Amino acid sequence: MSNDISRIKYSEGILREENPRVLMQSINKRFGEVQALDNASLSLEKGEVHALLGENGAGKTTLMNILSGLYVADSGEVAIDGRKVDIHRPKDAADHGIGMVHQHFELISNFTALENIILAAEGGRLVIDMDSKHKELEELMPRFGLHVDLDANVRDLSVGVQQKVEIIKALYRGVSILILDEPTTMLTPQEADSLFSVISSFTKQGLTVILITHKIKEVLKVSNRITVMRHGKCVRTVRTSEASEKLLVEIMMGEKSSYKGFSISEKPKTNKIKSETMLLVEGLTIGEPKQPSLVENVSLKVQNGEIVGLVGVCGNGQMEVAEAIYGVRKPNMGKIAICSKEITGGSVIESLRAGAFLIPEDRIHQGILPNLSLSETLILGPHNFLFKHSLMLNFKRIYELGRQAIEDYQIKAPNERADTCLLSGGNIQKLIIARAFLFSSITDLNLLIAFNPTNGLDVMSAQFVHDRLLEIGSSGAGVLLISEDLDESMLLCNRIYVFFKGRVVGELAHADFDPYVMGAMMTGGEPND
Amino acid sequence: MISINKIKLSIKNWINTKFLQKNRLISGLNGFGIYLAAVIVALIINSSFIAWAGGNIISSYETMIQVSLGSAAGLGQTLNKCTPLLLAGIAVAVGNRGRVSNIGSDGQIYMGAIFATGTGLLLVPLNMPIYVLSPLVLLASIIGGAFWCGIPGVLKARFGTSELFTTIMLLFMANFITDYFASGPWRAPEVPDSISRPIATSGFLPKFFGGAHVGIIIAIVVAIAIYFLIEKSVLGYKIRTMGDNPDAAKLAGINIPLYQFGLLALSGAIAGLAGGIEIAGLDHRLMTGLSPSYGLMAVLVASLGKNKPIGVIISAFLFAILMVGSDSLQRSINLPSSAVMVFQAVVYLSILLARTIREQ
Repeated sequence: MSNDISRIKYSEGILREENPRVLMQSINKRFGEVQALDNASLSLEKGEVHALLGENGAGKTTLMNILSGLYVADSGEVAIDGRKVDIHRPKDAADHGIGMVHQHFELISNFTALENIILAAEGGRLVIDMDSKHKELEELMPRFGLHVDLDANVRDLSVGVQQKVEIIKALYRGVSILILDEPTTMLTPQEADSLFSVISSFTKQGLTVILITHKIKEVLKVSNRITVMRHGKCVRTVRTSEASEKLLVEIMMGEKSSYKGFSISEKPKTNKIKSETMLLVEGLTIGEPKQPSLVENVSLKVQNGEIVGLVGVCGNGQMEVAEAIYGVRKPNMGKIAICSKEITGGSVIESLRAGAFLIPEDRIHQGILPNLSLSETLILGPHNFLFKHSLMLNFKRIYELGRQAIEDYQIKAPNERADTCLLSGGNIQKLIIARAFLFSSITDLNLLIAFNPTNGLDVMSAQFVHDRLLEIGSSGAGVLLISEDLDESMLLCNRIYVFFKGRVVGELAHADFDPYVMGAMMTGGEPND
Repeated sequence: MISINKIKLSIKNWINTKFLQKNRLISGLNGFGIYLAAVIVALIINSSFIAWAGGNIISSYETMIQVSLGSAAGLGQTLNKCTPLLLAGIAVAVGNRGRVSNIGSDGQIYMGAIFATGTGLLLVPLNMPIYVLSPLVLLASIIGGAFWCGIPGVLKARFGTSELFTTIMLLFMANFITDYFASGPWRAPEVPDSISRPIATSGFLPKFFGGAHVGIIIAIVVAIAIYFLIEKSVLGYKIRTMGDNPDAAKLAGINIPLYQFGLLALSGAIAGLAGGIEIAGLDHRLMTGLSPSYGLMAVLVASLGKNKPIGVIISAFLFAILMVGSDSLQRSINLPSSAVMVFQAVVYLSILLARTIREQ
C-alpha cells in the first residue's frame, strides 16, 4: 500500500516529504535525439542514504550530473532546504555543499594523497602550509571513520583506498550532500563492505549520501530509500525496509518483463565423451626488463565445454595473461598451447588460426569499425577465413551475413549497410557476440576469450550475453572469462583462477566459490582471513 | 590529423551556434544547393580581387573559363595540369584511407622525376623504340617514388616515427638531390639554369588531343584501379579497417606495421609516377621547380574528394581548371601571382565550409 502512495505522490509531481534536504522537480534534459531525463523528480532527506537504481542509460548519472553542476537542465527546478537554487557549474554545486565522486577517479597519480585532497580546495593559493593541512586532515578522517596514508603516492594505493581519497577530498571541501557514482564497480567484496560502513557513519554526521548503482543487492544492504529510474523517469521511490529484490527488478524492468532472475537454472554440463584440453598455459612470465614482472609463472588449463574465470583486482596480471594467449603480448617465458598446438610468442593471426577468438574489453575502441557498415564490422576477424583464398570481397555474402546477424540477434539497426557507429552499446555487443558465432560457424572455435562481456549492458542484454556464452561453452569450445564483476564470474564459471600481483593465488571449483574467500585472495590476504 | 579534426570540430561548433540555430535558411539548404551557395560566395569574394586589380569582373571569369576549357589547346593544358594533381591526390587519399598521412608527396614526385630522367638519359644510346622506353621511364619513376616513401614506411613500421615529419624531411632532401643532378652531372650545357639535358625522345609520352599527353589516361586508370583495390578487394578491406580503427584491426590479426609500410610505399609509387609523367609527358628535362607544390595541393584535392578515388578525379579536375584559369588572370589583368594563390584558397575554403555545414 505504501508503495502505491508514493507512486501517487510522484504522478502529481508534488513531493510532500517533510524537510527535504534536496528537491529536484520535473527535470528535463535532452541530448540530441535522446530524452535523457523526462520530468524526473527526486527528493532527498537529511542523513539518509538514498540509492538511485536503474539500468544503464536510465538517466541516473545524468540526473546527478545536473545536481552537481556538470550539466544544466533544459527545464526543472532544484531546491535545497526549501530554497530554489541555480546550479550552472560545478562551483555553484560545491557552494551548496554538493560533491560527486565519479566512477573514474579524478586523481593525479604522482601526487600524494594529501596533495590530491587539498588541490581542489586550495589549488588557487600561492603558499600552502602542508603541515597544518596534514594535521587538519588527521583530525577530520577519524570523525568519518576513514583512514588513509596521506603521504603515500596515489599510484601506490589500491583502488579502494584511492576511492577513499576521493571521498576525503569531497569531505574536506565541506560537502554535505555526497554523490557516489557506481562506487563498488572496481572494489573487492571486502573493500565494498568497508565503503558501506564508512557511508553509514556519514549519515550519523548528518550527511546525505546518494548512491548511483545498478546492483540491487548493494542497494538493499546499505540504503534507507531507493528511487528507481527507467527511461529518464523517476518511476518510484520505496523505503528499503519495504523493498525486495523481486519488487525492484519489476520496477526496473517495467511490468511486462520477461526477466528470469539472476540465477541460471541449468549449469553448463561438461558431458563431452572425450575430454580435450583447449588451452594449456605453463609457467608463463611476462614483464619488461628491470621492472617487476606483470605475470609470473602462471599455469592454467581450460578443458572443452568449460568456462574458466580469471579474477583479480584490475592490474594484477589476469589481463596480460589473456593478451599473451591471444598474441597481443609477447611472453618472456613459458608455454601457451591451444588445442595442443603451441602458439607461444606468435602473433594474433596465429592465435586466430589455432581457433582462439576475442571479445575485446573496450567494445567501441577495440571492437568496431565505426565508419564502416555493420556487416563489415561483423566479419572483422572471421574475414581471415571467409576470404582466405580470394582477392576480392564478396559483398553479397557480407551483407547476407549482416542481415542474418540482425535477425538472429535482434540487433536494432536500420539495415545491414548502416554505419556501425549508429548502433547503441548493447547492440554493438550483440554484434560482437554474433561475430564470435560467425567465427565458430566458419572455422573451429576452440577458445573464446571474453573480456567484461556485459560491462555497461542492461539486465536483459546481459542475460542474452550470458546465455550465448553458456551456449558456446556447451558447444564444446573452452571459454576464458575475464570479468571485473565477481558475481558474473561466479555465476558463469566452472572454475576460477584468482590473480594477485601477477601470480595465480588460488584455483577454485564451482562448489567452493565464495565472494569473501576470493576477495581476500584478490587482495593478498589468506583465504580464511 | 587530430589537430585538423579539432579545428574542423570547432568550426562546426562555431557554425552551429552562429548560424544553424538562428538561421533556418542555411540549414534548409542541402545537397547541391549548399555547394552552389559556396561557389557563389567564393565568386563574390574573388570578384573583389579582380576589381582591386582593375579588371572587368565578368570578362575575367569569361577568360578563365575560355582559357581552361574553351579550346582544344586550353583543355589540353588543363588535362596536363590535372594529371599530377590527380595522381598525387590519389597517393594522399590512399594513404589517408589506411590512416597514414603522406603529406610530403612532392618529395616522391621529385624522386620519381629523378629516376625517370636518369633512365631516359642512361638509355639514350640504346635507341629503344617508344613502346619500350616510355614504359621503362614510368616504371623507374614508380620505383623511385616507392623507394622514397618506403623510407618513412620503414621508419614508421619499425620505430613508429610519424610520417608527417619524415615525408616532409625527405621532400627537402629530394629538392636538393634534384638540384644536384639538374645543375651537376645531368646539366644541359646550353642553358644557364639548373636544367638537365632532355631524355631520349622515344621516352616521351605520346600526345593525343590538343597538346594533352596520355598521362591523364594513365592517371584515370590508376584511380579506377585504386578504387577497386580500396573499396572492393580483401586487401582494401584490411586497409580501410586499419584506417577506421587500428586497435580493432590489430585484434583481428592484421599486421599493422607491415600494412603501414606497404601503404606508404604504394602511396609513394603513385606520387612517383606523377613525377615520371611530368618528365616523360611535359618537361622532358629534370629541373628545380618541376612541381609547383602539387604535393601540397594533393592534400587539398584528396580531402575535397573525401579520399575516394572517384571524388579525387572530380576534385583534381576542378583544381586544374582553377589553376589554369586563375593563372590566366596573371596575364590578362595582371593579378599578382600571390593573389592567384589567395584566389584559389578562397574557393577551397568555401567548398570545405559548405561540406562541413552539410555534414551537420
